[in-house]
Amino acid sequence: MHHIYLDHSATTPIDDRVFEAMLPYLRDKFGNASSVHQLGQDARAAVDKGRRQVAALIHARANEIVFSSGGTEANNLALTGICQAAQTHGRHIITSAIEHPSVRGVVDHLEKQGWSITRLPVYENGIVRLDDVRAALRDDTILVSVMMANNEIGTIQPVAEIGALVRAERARGRKHLWFHTDAIQAAGRISIDVEVIGCDLLSLSAHKLYAPKGTGALFVRRGVRLLPQQIGGHQERERRAGTESVANIVAFGKAAELARAEMSERSAHTRSLRDRFENKVQEQIADIIFNGDREDRLPHLSNISFRFVEGEGLLIHLDMQGVAVSTGSACSSGTLEPSPVIKALGRNEELARGAIRFSFGKDNTQDEVDFAIDALIRAVESLRAISPLARDMASVPSA
Amino acid sequence: MSYSDIFKDHLANPRNAGELPNADAIAEETNPVCGDRLSLSLRLANGRIEAVRFLAYGCPPTLVCGSALAEIVEGMTIDEAMQLTRKQIVEAVGGLSSRKQHAAALAIETLRSALTKNASADCQNR
Repeated sequence: MHHIYLDHSATTPIDDRVFEAMLPYLRDKFGNASSVHQLGQDARAAVDKGRRQVAALIHARANEIVFSSGGTEANNLALTGICQAAQTHGRHIITSAIEHPSVRGVVDHLEKQGWSITRLPVYENGIVRLDDVRAALRDDTILVSVMMANNEIGTIQPVAEIGALVRAERARGRKHLWFHTDAIQAAGRISIDVEVIGCDLLSLSAHKLYAPKGTGALFVRRGVRLLPQQIGGHQERERRAGTESVANIVAFGKAAELARAEMSERSAHTRSLRDRFENKVQEQIADIIFNGDREDRLPHLSNISFRFVEGEGLLIHLDMQGVAVSTGSACSSGTLEPSPVIKALGRNEELARGAIRFSFGKDNTQDEVDFAIDALIRAVESLRAISPLARDMASVPSA
Repeated sequence: MSYSDIFKDHLANPRNAGELPNADAIAEETNPVCGDRLSLSLRLANGRIEAVRFLAYGCPPTLVCGSALAEIVEGMTIDEAMQLTRKQIVEAVGGLSSRKQHAAALAIETLRSALTKNASADCQNR
């Protein structure tokens, strides 16, 4: 069957150029970057180059990049590391209601340990308000963690404004206040400049950038102290112990370099596919609602709630037709966990359950999008034909 | 999440979907926790289920168990239908993980509800 992959926010295929770049480090150049001999030094040089390439993507210095096993570890290191280092100055964290589970889970864990948490609302457009951040600041706040762009609806958060606020507060004497942003979904899709954002910590993941899974990075601004969560080695300037995954770092570096060079082209391409998709869906399928702000969002992503049907059924219907998408809700053991992100927009259960994320990539084509639209129409019609919710709506007399 | 071929076939081609006009027995049950809904309408004659239609909303196992139920019970005697078990529904859809068994339970609950609530209607037809 022909496979059409519209789930690039989950992961991306490996770019051939990235694959070619990493291959030698899986074969002949297998040295440990901590070894003194030539093989080791070759590996060290490759890691250093990867570090420079990743740093360049976000306009950071190379020594501000800490490689990790992925985005989740980067977020864990950022939050737990800074909280452990700064807890004598306060135990209050400000975050948003729509963070990725790798931030939300850490914050929930810290809350159980006695930390005080403020979870900022996002309103119907899926965007945090700066005034809410300002109002939430307390004398014991040590960390603000707000994602750069959301993984389910793609909304871009006012991170530069939050960064400016945090810097202004520090300038006024609040010396132990830090700003972390999870930029995992944003990277490679919109431009990132840590100076413009004014963040102290920023998380990245390689596999959203057409590199393999298994590597991430945390930007740690020079002078910011955080406690390592992996100990027992001197790697990553004592901030993350463990032998560097050299081939993966080479891949990450190459992917970052390509993402930087091709960002405007990729962005224009995916935006054009996404807009074509949304226009046609809106024309041809009734009773849908777009989730998240239509302007301030990532160019490659569309999140739509289809009334009267449930997302997982749609997902499997599409999968059977060769189209891969995702849903944020999960039903298990008779309990439903509708997407917290869609719920945070104020949507009811039915709309939260009927939400599907379509995320386009640089290699998708217009023909694929058109095929996906036809498949989607068939899937929605099929599920609505057996839905008692659609029947109930049809039996309501029109005014 | 890995579903069997028969499961996918039920999802792509639901059996006996819809509602029966002039049904002798109808029931609609909702899983109070997750909100999944299953609606059944039955035509009964001579102690048998002569025709059946279903509607369903919820996760794929709920839709598929509704379809499988609608296929299995058509032609059964009411007594046979009342003996139908959750396990038989699970087998009919090619198996379900323990986390998805509630979908088969909803199917059985809705069937029994329809038959029990409407037993008197059927008596008149016997």
